[in-house]
Amino acid sequence: MAALVTSWLVAGASAARAQVTAEPSAVVFPDPAKFAHGLYTEGEVGAVAFFGKAGNDVSPGFAIGARVGYDLFRWLALQLHFVGSTHQLTGDNPLNGQLLQTYQALVEGKLTYRFGQTSIFGEGGIGVERLSTNALYALGVEPKYRVGFVAGGGGGLDYHSLSRHFSVGVRGGFFVMAELTSSQELMATTYLRYTF
Amino acid sequence: MQGCQTGNKVGRQVALALSLLTPLALGCQGMNNTPIYFASPEPILTVTGMNDAMGNPPRIENGMTLQFRNPTDAEKKALDMQTAALGFAAPWIQRDHVHIELTYQVTYTPLPGQGPDDDPNDIPQFTIGIDGANEYTKYNSNIVAMTLAQGKDAPQYIPLIPVTPQTLAQGQTVSGTVREDDFNEAELDLDAMGRWMAPFNAVLINNSQVNPIGLSMVPANVVIPALIEIDVSFTANRNMTCTYDIRVRDDNGQLLHDTTNTLFSPTPTLFVPPAMM
Repeated sequence: MAALVTSWLVAGASAARAQVTAEPSAVVFPDPAKFAHGLYTEGEVGAVAFFGKAGNDVSPGFAIGARVGYDLFRWLALQLHFVGSTHQLTGDNPLNGQLLQTYQALVEGKLTYRFGQTSIFGEGGIGVERLSTNALYALGVEPKYRVGFVAGGGGGLDYHSLSRHFSVGVRGGFFVMAELTSSQELMATTYLRYTF
Repeated sequence: MQGCQTGNKVGRQVALALSLLTPLALGCQGMNNTPIYFASPEPILTVTGMNDAMGNPPRIENGMTLQFRNPTDAEKKALDMQTAALGFAAPWIQRDHVHIELTYQVTYTPLPGQGPDDDPNDIPQFTIGIDGANEYTKYNSNIVAMTLAQGKDAPQYIPLIPVTPQTLAQGQTVSGTVREDDFNEAELDLDAMGRWMAPFNAVLINNSQVNPIGLSMVPANVVIPALIEIDVSFTANRNMTCTYDIRVRDDNGQLLHDTTNTLFSPTPTLFVPPAMM
């Protein structure tokens, strides 16, 4: 009888398994999916520096700008970019100390890759640029054009706050102006973004 | 009800977007006040510092005429109305709408073999004088100097705008600005001499804001013409060069650009001091 019971236990009992209790999955906080997307505006401040021939006679200057854009997807946006900068003329010439402003308006595309609260992005576009004076022409640096097409792009780093609307970041860009054939400009700004 | 809430939300969004863009828009107001620069004509003003045969210091001149467009029919009509209201001619190029400034740079390059400037009675220095013309009158300090010259005396130049003489060390470069208010004073003086019988030496030597002597005939409501020609004279007792740029703020877009407008070409009368008439 004992042998029968023993054989039943060996043959009929189901295999015993240890209970595995997985750690609860970490909650993604903040959840990027909850960040606002769609219409957004940005205000930026920074600096613009000229390179090439104009770089010898135009000092880097303070820049202020704004963007209005729309996130078509979380990774793709279209935006309008307005920026103005003011510069002082330098160099060994009579116009040393005079002021020069640049105004730019561009249509840009922006690609974003997000990981958590941080994202990196690249952007580029075309538009028009206007110089406030013909000083570069008077100095013999550039042709007499004061308005011309501008094209360029750059990239940056964005950090989203715990608010679903606000983020801050830094960006840089390199632009060429069609009529300033031997001069380019480098722009570096920091910005505050509000997404509605 | 939901449509109303959506409308309010969009309204708030637009308001916020506008508030962010407003500072930029205000910054762009500067676009309405943009100067235009004119480089000094070639060749640049250069003197060696050697006196001429008469023993006078070297003096060299050049200048430029600013090119303005003719008034449109509407502007001509407005000008006629202004003339009728004033009781005397209103100039087309007015001081209130055309603002001129001149920036210069002078470099002292010693001639080869020249020693140090250690003579306290012969300090290297330069002088700049500015003459010019408005649409009615042209002033040339050479003509005035001929009037003032007595016998073999060295000519005394009284420009419309004198620039204070400055000293330079060897190899040094200095820059300076003849400001808009200096030109304002010169434009008043020239108009006073040309149209209102002011004694030229009285108005040129005195600053009208300090001592308005000679301006008694100028009407209180006078509309002063701006300079349309700027002539620069340069004198130095060493080998020096002078380059300059003229900066013009043209409020009403009266400068001639590459358009179909025609050139405004008045024929100002050369001012001749009474002693020579």
